[in-house]
Amino acid sequence: MKLLEIDDLHVSVQGKEILKGITLSVPEGELHAIMGPNGSGKSTLSYTLAGREGYEVTRGQVLYRGDDLTALSPDRRAALGVFLALQYPVEIPGVVTLTFLKVALNAQRRARGEQEFDAVQVLRSVRQNAAALNIPEDMLKRPLNAGFSGGEKKRMEILQMALFEPRLAILDETDSGLDIDALRLVASGVNAQRAPDRGILVITHYQRLLDYIVPDRVHVLAGGRIVRSGGPDLALELEKSGYGAVVEVA
Amino acid sequence: MTALARSIGGHTDAFRHDFARREVELPGGALQWLQDRRRAAMTAFTAIGVPNRRVEAWKYTDLANLLEPDLLPITGSGDADERVSPLLDESNHLRLFNGFLSRCASDDAIDIVDLSALRGEVPDWLRENFGVLACGPDQPMGAASLALMRGGVAIRVRRDNSLALHFSNGASLRPCVSHCRVLLLVESGVSVRLLESHTGETSSGSLRNIGVELILNANSRLEHIRLQKDAADAVHVTSLGAMLRRDSQYRACYAALGARASRLDINIRLTGDRSEAALHHVAAVDTGIADITSVIDHASPNTRSRQLFKNVAGGHGRVVNQGRVIVREGSVKSDSHQLFKALLLSPRAEVDAKPELEIFADDVLCGHGTAIGALDEDALFYLRSRGIPEEEAKRLLIRAFLAEAVEGFGNEAIRDSLWQELEGALTKAAKASR
Ligand SMILES: Nc1ncnc2c1ncn2[C@@H]1O[C@H](COP(=O)(O)OP(=O)(O)O)[C@@H](O)[C@H]1O
Ligand SMILES: [Mg+2]
Repeated sequence: MKLLEIDDLHVSVQGKEILKGITLSVPEGELHAIMGPNGSGKSTLSYTLAGREGYEVTRGQVLYRGDDLTALSPDRRAALGVFLALQYPVEIPGVVTLTFLKVALNAQRRARGEQEFDAVQVLRSVRQNAAALNIPEDMLKRPLNAGFSGGEKKRMEILQMALFEPRLAILDETDSGLDIDALRLVASGVNAQRAPDRGILVITHYQRLLDYIVPDRVHVLAGGRIVRSGGPDLALELEKSGYGAVVEVA
Repeated sequence: MTALARSIGGHTDAFRHDFARREVELPGGALQWLQDRRRAAMTAFTAIGVPNRRVEAWKYTDLANLLEPDLLPITGSGDADERVSPLLDESNHLRLFNGFLSRCASDDAIDIVDLSALRGEVPDWLRENFGVLACGPDQPMGAASLALMRGGVAIRVRRDNSLALHFSNGASLRPCVSHCRVLLLVESGVSVRLLESHTGETSSGSLRNIGVELILNANSRLEHIRLQKDAADAVHVTSLGAMLRRDSQYRACYAALGARASRLDINIRLTGDRSEAALHHVAAVDTGIADITSVIDHASPNTRSRQLFKNVAGGHGRVVNQGRVIVREGSVKSDSHQLFKALLLSPRAEVDAKPELEIFADDVLCGHGTAIGALDEDALFYLRSRGIPEEEAKRLLIRAFLAEAVEGFGNEAIRDSLWQELEGALTKAAKASR
């Protein structure tokens, strides 16, 4: 089954059309990369998929496991298995990270009619995943993302992805601003999440990440449209000739 | 200003007549020293009257026009109720019903005097300290509470201790006014925790007028946790005066959770070297006015004050934060900071914030800031995208906003009950904003 099917998607923000007819599908078990220059609409696409207010779908449709996704609230989407790692994770002073993780995890479970986890279960699960991402215990006791470095914030996003076990994960420039060690850590975190029943959409500006995460398909987004799609080699081609050439050919 | 205030003042005249008619019948009417202080207080009150918006310090809370036209003075306690403080604690428990001491359980390290029964022999500590603070023209309602006092309590604490003071009132057919005083004297070197709570489920537009005097002798510590939650049609004014002697510390966390209008009118004098005051305030309202107005007077060198006011207003609630910091000549190395923050949950909610500085000394550190805004949309989306439903996400963010002001006060049980009260008020505020 197609996990995600986007068909002729048009999205406006504050009356201005940003996405101008995107068609794209991600089958279960595949990892797709979306590449594109700054301002091409990558974050707009990811916010639209996550259900942020103010991103108005004016034409086209988005099906998630066969159902219309656009009518659902962000929290409902999350409970159904859609996860977005933000390009700029938000700082939330006053909410302890571990508390947040427990509240979020249990909210999702409650919405799905599953038994909530107790504090011990949450802690065990968080610890396991945190260790793999080199996230120290102390970070979990601090307010969520408050004063975290860029790399810490991105690792925290991947920790959440590991914890929530989504069916569809969208990673919006999770690689940007990371040094090479942090990049490797994040990439291995993502690779560990690849699974036959899971689809992953990796959004990136740079080819660099794709040295570590090999995609099944690569799509090039420019001016609010997918201008080219291809196999992993497309990323290498982009690196050699730059976006300009690819966009022109299209 | 004074003439105008007076010409309006039906209540001012009513208070004056009450005093003129009953002066000798009032508790302690036969004590000359007390009579002198009451007369001085009446003069101070009359200079301003029941303040209306033309009185600068009351421009955001027009008290005279918020009161019912006729207020019947409460002259007896009536049948006391048995409600206990919502800030549960195993400390010494005093209850005031309709402004009269109704129940009193305390140990022998505390001296307690029922102010409704003042006569004959009065302990020296009481005569020296009572009726000195919260009774000048800068706190006109405090002055009225002293002049017209019918009841209240004076407390002296001689050893480290903790006490709870719970105020409640009974049903009345007509709008009433109760004038009540509290004196707390903390002896040198002693640490005290004071839990003060006000609940008023019943009111028919009544006014609670309370004057509180806190005297911290050298090296003493007072932690003051105060919960004020009145009926939606009640008006509550507490005038608080504090005197901090050498090396003493006053830490307070005040919570204002509803009334037609509540005003906490504070005057803190840092009279002793190295004395410190830290005032934290949280307000959560969905209707009516929650006003905290403070004057902190750095009257000695090396004194320090901190103020952190955090307000959440929903529905058509209004919050008022005014803070004036005075640094007197010679009060070098004074250090003061005030920060007022408000979260508005509804377009009809309002906030008035006014920090002021009057500095007459060199080599001081004084700062202030205000921040007013709505809930952060980015944060709200972030939480929702993690599966947290909208209402729960809002509650989490509001709680996070207030947390800083409550942290570190009391013990876990006290904080839990404070949070429970806060959550109740926040739920109402959020509902009224939909
Ligand atoms: N909230 C907004 N209001 C108006 N324009 C926006 C808003 N967000 C993004 N845009 C515009 O939409 C376009 C795409 O932005 P974005 O999706 O952030 O691109 P990318 O993530 O590919 O860098 C840009 O031209 C940007 O200026
Ligand atoms: Mg972007």
